Amino acid sequence: MTSLLSVKNACKSYNGNQVLDHVWLELASAEVHALMGENGAGKSTLIKLLAGVVSPDRLELTLKGSPVQIRSAKEAFALGLRFIHQELSVVPQLSVAENLFLQLPYPKRFGLVNWQRLNEKARTMLAGLGIEHIPPGRKMARLSTGDKMLIKIAAALLGEASASASVFVLDEPTAALSSEESGRLFKLIEQLKQRGCAVLYVSHRLEEIFALCDRVTVMRDGKTVASKKLAETGQNELISLMTGRSLGQIYGKREKELNQELLLKVTRLENKKLKGINFQLLKGEILGLAGLAGSGRSELLRALMGVDSSSHDIALAGQRFVAHSPTVSWEQGLAFVPEERRTEGLVLSHSVEKNIALPHLAQLSGAGVLLNRSVQGKKARALSQMVNLKARNVGQKTKELSGGNQQKVVFARALAASPRLLLLDEPGRGVDVGAKGDIYSFIRTLSSKGTGIIMASSDLAELLGLCDRILILHEGRQIALVKAQGLSQADLLSLCYQTEVAA
Amino acid sequence: MTEVLRWGRRFGTLLGFLLVILFFWLNLPDTFMTARNLLNISQQISMLAVVAFSMTMVMVMNDFDLSVGSMASLAGIVAALLFSQGTSVLLGISAALAVGLLGGLVNGILVSLVGILPFVATLGTLTIFSGLAFFISGGKTIFGRDIPASFSGFARGGISLGMLNERPLLLPNLTIVALLVLLIVWVVLEHTTFGRRLYAIGGNREAARLAGVRVRLLRLLAFVFTGFGAALAGLMYASRVASANPTQGAGLMLDAIAAVFLGMTMSEEGEPHVLATLVGVLILGVLDNGLTQMQVDSYVREMLIGGIIVAAVASSSLGKA
Repeated sequence: MTSLLSVKNACKSYNGNQVLDHVWLELASAEVHALMGENGAGKSTLIKLLAGVVSPDRLELTLKGSPVQIRSAKEAFALGLRFIHQELSVVPQLSVAENLFLQLPYPKRFGLVNWQRLNEKARTMLAGLGIEHIPPGRKMARLSTGDKMLIKIAAALLGEASASASVFVLDEPTAALSSEESGRLFKLIEQLKQRGCAVLYVSHRLEEIFALCDRVTVMRDGKTVASKKLAETGQNELISLMTGRSLGQIYGKREKELNQELLLKVTRLENKKLKGINFQLLKGEILGLAGLAGSGRSELLRALMGVDSSSHDIALAGQRFVAHSPTVSWEQGLAFVPEERRTEGLVLSHSVEKNIALPHLAQLSGAGVLLNRSVQGKKARALSQMVNLKARNVGQKTKELSGGNQQKVVFARALAASPRLLLLDEPGRGVDVGAKGDIYSFIRTLSSKGTGIIMASSDLAELLGLCDRILILHEGRQIALVKAQGLSQADLLSLCYQTEVAA
Repeated sequence: MTEVLRWGRRFGTLLGFLLVILFFWLNLPDTFMTARNLLNISQQISMLAVVAFSMTMVMVMNDFDLSVGSMASLAGIVAALLFSQGTSVLLGISAALAVGLLGGLVNGILVSLVGILPFVATLGTLTIFSGLAFFISGGKTIFGRDIPASFSGFARGGISLGMLNERPLLLPNLTIVALLVLLIVWVVLEHTTFGRRLYAIGGNREAARLAGVRVRLLRLLAFVFTGFGAALAGLMYASRVASANPTQGAGLMLDAIAAVFLGMTMSEEGEPHVLATLVGVLILGVLDNGLTQMQVDSYVREMLIGGIIVAAVASSSLGKA
């Protein structure tokens, strides 16, 4: 195996939070190399270092045996590195052929562009890559996401000889693709491999990785933990490498038995994304929502909170509850921790105190209208202490806090009014291990006080470690509702894949 | 170095304002820094101040209202037309303010419920209000006997502060109105849940919505308030010049936005605050007054004022980078 790109001692920290800690990675030519790790393991930061968009604290790079540096996106491009993201930069108004040849001279005749020749060149080029179903004259805007991705990769292969592409980095490329589109992408990846390119393939989908990749490097908590041939490993080993800890350690245990008091009954919940959701939740029970990306986990939480509209029949503590606006839901004792804390959770330019008070302003103000800074400050300080928040004071702006502390602010806000029902979307995502432990312990505390908790997560260990029962969703449908006790990650994963296998 | 930059960003605008005052004080030693001239400035800027204060309300949410100038003109025309029909002053004023509320409601519905970008929606209503003002007035200025003396007298009146050089010194009524609007907007934005929620919408609209803020209702109400403020400013203008014509409010909109932007340069978060907007209004008012007294050509004056706005905003965004 000849090393094409070697990464050593990649280090990066944000505000004292070490995101990458002496990470290493070896890419060989003509290999498809999977990069795996939980959310927050540092994969995307590593990719940003390679792309030259984030400057490293330390980084030793060798390309084809000679040391190189990447200080800007331009330098990364010149070294032959290509990055294919979900959001692709294409020119939608131009045709496929025009996009392909964007960085090259168009063929000309009498000084004018020879469109016929351009389209022919594009057609031959695409055919050489096995992409025959896309007419070169079609406008880019009319292509599907998957086809755009194919064209983007094909365009990267053209380039000038001096900057010819040798390393492709694909970051969760199939997240938005249909299975047919994914199939085409995999064929193209095979082509790249045959041309001697290295492909770094980032994905959570174990099946894809086993089908497509030659080697895998696993990252956890900002470190490289292993690099293995896929032929010599299995799903279970990969999962334990990624999670790195035996279950139950940081998740805590249920202290006392649930008393069988019904809190929530959801019947026939439906909207554009969800079909036929029916379940019940006891007081203090923790229900997990599992499923692949796009299965409707977040959508179910959003529907319950009244963020997205849905038709439903919901009883909350025996009373009819209509989820039609987040305002009413907060008033009724629901609390919500959204998936993206930076874009959906916090007003980043505002202080910890203002963010905690936001859903509870009416209760914390005189006559429900006049702000009372001392009451708010007191409440915010008490809650910050309760969630073990590390901030200078409650006046500190939330944008200055680390990811884990930002998440704690969103939690503190959710706990402020002692909610009856707490909805959590990816509570542990992008949070360092210490903060994760804190967050899991408040979930336990609330549960023991009788708050019902519904949490969506893509982290199987988190679901199995915390939940009493798990509801499994697939394409917006509820396909199973199981007890978490005695279930292994492999069992849960196979439940998530269940209908795909059947289909 | 960064400390200097941060300090400069926070207080640069205020410092600039003090330098401008010092400059005019030195160059116009007899006429600028006198009680009479300062009270005069306060009256000159009162209309702009009312529009800028109410504009602050929507700009807190990162929205704009471009229609305030033509709303001011329209409100003046509506009142004057009713006066010319012989209605009472109270009825004329009420009708004009109602038009302001209604216009604001239209803006609010377009922006908040229909979901049109504020820039586009209020550009549209700017044209509509302006056309309407021309249409109902027949394009003519309404003045003279059509305007009741009690209406135009309001702007000339004020609270007596005593005598100076054997002439009475008045705190003008228009200044008092502007101060009242300032007080109201300040209380609403800084001391009520309504204002706090507006700032949250401005900071992150989606996060505010998920935290239970009624984003659509609040945006709508803020636009209604701004429309009302614009109509009030239009009435103040009509009272001051004892006439109404369909273009007299036209200059208010750009100056009001400029004043809010000047104020925003003083905020660390880049958020508008109404007291900062006041400083912005004062800068524009003092420059206008001083340069006029120094007999600077009005076109040169415009260039200078424009240049100062750009310089202030540029220096504050350089400080941020």
